[in-house]
Amino acid sequence: MLFWQILIDGFAISSLYALGATGFALIFGVSGVLNLSHGALMVAAVVAAWAAGNDLHVGPYAGALIGVAVGFVASMITYFLIVRPLQQSRKIREEEKEIFILTATLLWGIMLQELIAYFYTNNAKTVAPIVEGVVRIVGVRTPANEIFTAVVCWLVIGILWLLVNRTRAGKAVLAASMNPRGVTLLGVELSQVYIAVWAIYGVLVGVAGVLLGMFLGVSSYSVGPLTASAFSIVVLGGLGSVSGALIAAYVVGYLETLTAYLISPAYRTIPALLLLVAVMYISPRGLLGRR
Amino acid sequence: MADKNAHLEVSGLTKRFGGLVAVKDMAFSIEAGKILGLIGPNGSGKSTVMKLIMGIERPDAGSVRINGTEVAGWPSHRIARLGAGIVFQHSRPLHRQTVLENIKLALLPDKLTRLLADPETDTKARAIAARVGLSAVLGRRPATLPFADLRKIEIAKAIARDPQVLLIDEPFAGLTSKETAAFSDLICELRDDGRAVLLVDHNVKSVARLVDRVLAMYVGERIAEGTADEVMRNETVRRVYLGGSIETAARPESSFRDVTTPFLEVKNVSVHYGKAQALDDVSIHVHAGEFVSVVGLNGAGKTTLFNTISGFLPYAGDIRREGASLRGFTAATIARKGIVQCPEGRELFVDMTVRENLDLGGQHLSPAEGAQQIAWLFDLFPILRDRQKQAAGTLSGGEQQMLTIARALMMKPKLLILDEPTLGLAPVILEQLSKALERLRQTTPITVLLGEQNVTFALPHADRVYVLEHARIVWEGEPARFAADVGTGYL
Amino acid sequence: MGSLSTTRVLLIGLVAVALASFLPLGVSGYILGLLTIAYYFGVFAMAWDLLFGFAGEVNFGPTFLIGTGAYTAGILDNLYQPPIWICVAAGALAAVAGGVVLALPALRVRGPYFGLTTLVAVLMLQNFVVVDASLTGGEIGLTVPDVITISDAKNYEIALWFMAISGAILFALSRSPVGLILQASGQDAVQAGALGFNVTKHKLTAFVISAFFSGLAGALLVFYLGSASVGTFIDITVGVQIIIAVVIGGRRTILGAVLGAIFIIAMSEALRPVGDLANFIVFAMALFVVLTFPNGFFGLLTRSKETS
Repeated sequence: MLFWQILIDGFAISSLYALGATGFALIFGVSGVLNLSHGALMVAAVVAAWAAGNDLHVGPYAGALIGVAVGFVASMITYFLIVRPLQQSRKIREEEKEIFILTATLLWGIMLQELIAYFYTNNAKTVAPIVEGVVRIVGVRTPANEIFTAVVCWLVIGILWLLVNRTRAGKAVLAASMNPRGVTLLGVELSQVYIAVWAIYGVLVGVAGVLLGMFLGVSSYSVGPLTASAFSIVVLGGLGSVSGALIAAYVVGYLETLTAYLISPAYRTIPALLLLVAVMYISPRGLLGRR
Repeated sequence: MADKNAHLEVSGLTKRFGGLVAVKDMAFSIEAGKILGLIGPNGSGKSTVMKLIMGIERPDAGSVRINGTEVAGWPSHRIARLGAGIVFQHSRPLHRQTVLENIKLALLPDKLTRLLADPETDTKARAIAARVGLSAVLGRRPATLPFADLRKIEIAKAIARDPQVLLIDEPFAGLTSKETAAFSDLICELRDDGRAVLLVDHNVKSVARLVDRVLAMYVGERIAEGTADEVMRNETVRRVYLGGSIETAARPESSFRDVTTPFLEVKNVSVHYGKAQALDDVSIHVHAGEFVSVVGLNGAGKTTLFNTISGFLPYAGDIRREGASLRGFTAATIARKGIVQCPEGRELFVDMTVRENLDLGGQHLSPAEGAQQIAWLFDLFPILRDRQKQAAGTLSGGEQQMLTIARALMMKPKLLILDEPTLGLAPVILEQLSKALERLRQTTPITVLLGEQNVTFALPHADRVYVLEHARIVWEGEPARFAADVGTGYL
Repeated sequence: MGSLSTTRVLLIGLVAVALASFLPLGVSGYILGLLTIAYYFGVFAMAWDLLFGFAGEVNFGPTFLIGTGAYTAGILDNLYQPPIWICVAAGALAAVAGGVVLALPALRVRGPYFGLTTLVAVLMLQNFVVVDASLTGGEIGLTVPDVITISDAKNYEIALWFMAISGAILFALSRSPVGLILQASGQDAVQAGALGFNVTKHKLTAFVISAFFSGLAGALLVFYLGSASVGTFIDITVGVQIIIAVVIGGRRTILGAVLGAIFIIAMSEALRPVGDLANFIVFAMALFVVLTFPNGFFGLLTRSKETS
């Protein structure tokens, strides 16, 4: 019984991690940016959805949409106000840009966290789920919401996969992640590719955030751990490899679930961190890394 | 002062980068007080040989003996302390430090405990600066200095290290003749101290006066060794550099319709890379349907010229397409305007299949047009049809080059720019490529701008030839006259 | 500042510190307390600048080293109550050990991986502290039975002179031949190797020195505050504050770090009426600095000299 419970819970949380990590990996692969404000963007989306329900009294669907929209807007702000000016800055030497961008996104993430805490306190918030009720799977009582979460995550990942692998624009984005100069030579404006990628990222982060809010709830304290788990997963899977990130997401998700059930929920993040440390010592390029 | 026993001996030196063999079985020796010139075109592996000797790269096989001690596989700092020094091709000073501090650094021992500055270091550093001619700028930072001074800093660092074996990479690139003479003298002085010197360059002519012996390299292997004269007259070397007899099939300039306003016009264009002048008042033009070759050695400026036309670099001067200026347009826009480049690095999407690479080239076409274009290209390059499901990264060098050209052709370009397509390719592949270009030239109205150092490849298809040397156009004319006017002095 | 000789800068610094040591005569205990914290923070920042500005390694988790030093000292005092100086020494040594453990994987990797490694280190320490609550006080924090002194003035003087001496050492180091080698190791490792310098050895040394001062300052701070908690010593936010203190003050100047530290602490205090938004505003300022004058205040001052 416990086994099935772990299997199902683990699957749901892993799917959520997979969605978030895919976005994180996408931004790194194409734009070359490790967005350390990732967690903050997710939490912003959740809080927006919650606020919409709480203050504006809209239904769960509308609330979710507002959350996703906020995630999108926050992502665009991150790109246009912070990442792009730094990438194009003449005052910073090329070799140092990566570090400045890392620091700036970290700063921005904490700023958002403080802002959220200020306006909405740091209490945990859950968003009214779209799907309610309980279902029995293999004898385990599971909130229908969990199934909904896993389904939506995979739907979105599937759509993303189709976009990237089957559409022209998508293939251009994929190509840009392999060789930016190559796509420029073929007449594709990189600046447009970047905007498209950050826009997609914004939607991904918004959806992941809202789903997380419906499933477990978040608070402004979740910002750090969310960013940390996203980059742990992406590093484990190999920076730049989206398929690696997907696999790693399930490894981390199940590690956390197993720990929470078998040892204690307080320790849930530790095994994943230990695994990350081990991987960094042994093979810093992760399990399937390309860079 | 160097030991009379200064000696560098290399044998069986081999280095692979993935599937590519960069250096194969390299062997030579240099005695005290002698200079060996290592010559080869870009991609021949000569810089890799230097890095292997200095420990910046680890050899996969072979031996490197410095003064009798085997150092292959040692980290570079140990090799440096044993008595080797390197002057890199591109100046790499510490930008936040003054000239004096840069030289002092080279004088310091590798100790953690040096907390107080030694006045002797200061004196020595100043003396070295005086020797190379940097006394006036000791307090300045590298960003404020002219190109030649940066090279002087590199030589000063080498002198400070007092190495017994000195490796110098392309010493005269970017220098005026006066500066070159001064550097030559310095190198001779260092040699006369009793050091063993390895000079690496792509051009025998520029180092002929300095070297005692020359070793020529091509695609990672040695192809000739002897005195400078002997090597320049060597059959294999001439074939590799100049090619054999050259047949030309030029069409006169007047036969092109757009005589008054050529399709592409480059007027008085100058480009700077930091301090170095990469292009100096360059003017060329290309008529619609014409095949123009720009011939020049490494570092002459071909790639800079092409990147400037394609919109990647800022420039002074005028570049026009059918009379309209291209200034201000992004590189992607210029590509969409029909000026498509196949760069030296090919820039393929290595993890994607051949077919996917081609499709990306044709993304601006309708599906029907695209299919038609691909069919035509498979006819032109049949090997690509056979390999269409393979990942581009698994193709051989020649196949990758064909894919690069095919992908560019998918864009239906008005002007196709080819930058050194023959780089690192075996002669057999060059034949195939040459035939494909010939077909292209005969069956389509395409305009081609080709940049090459391999004259055998560049001349047969060309209607007109430019010669680019040290950032300047030094010759323009018909291919037939090229051999007569320029040929012998080229090597 | 690059054109002023080391001795001259040290003399100016000495004068400034001497003047500052007279502050307790006329200034309230509240401000003294603020400055005390700022001075310790200044040492954190200077230690960070040594590692980043010179060895070229961006450490996103300076609080790993600080926290290790602080908690070791605090836990030791709680368990055995040895004299304070032994706890502090133990803290510094623990931080050095931590620095070596961190350096080993970190130095083998490049670029973003290094920063990530340091971030992971902080998270691990944070997890360990929270989980092992019986030893460390968990999320609530640790209180230590001893403090160095209760007097505001004495604490101030101790902090001031500790910062002054640390600063003098670190600054002199940065200007010394060893400092030059460190800079070369950070700017161009290949060139440094070709000039005969064992880059790994030098970067490891920079790590150890940075760890030593971070841990020492952290341990001393515990005995000033009388307590330690995740929020004051380990949290990523604190690490970020250190980084922006250095960026605002001016990277690679060592002394700029102190200015930046004082600025950050003063700003946070000045913005206290705004409540929780204070941090936000300080970080927004830092972001502004990063985007507009990334070389910090010292960078602005010396810029005219660079372009001549």
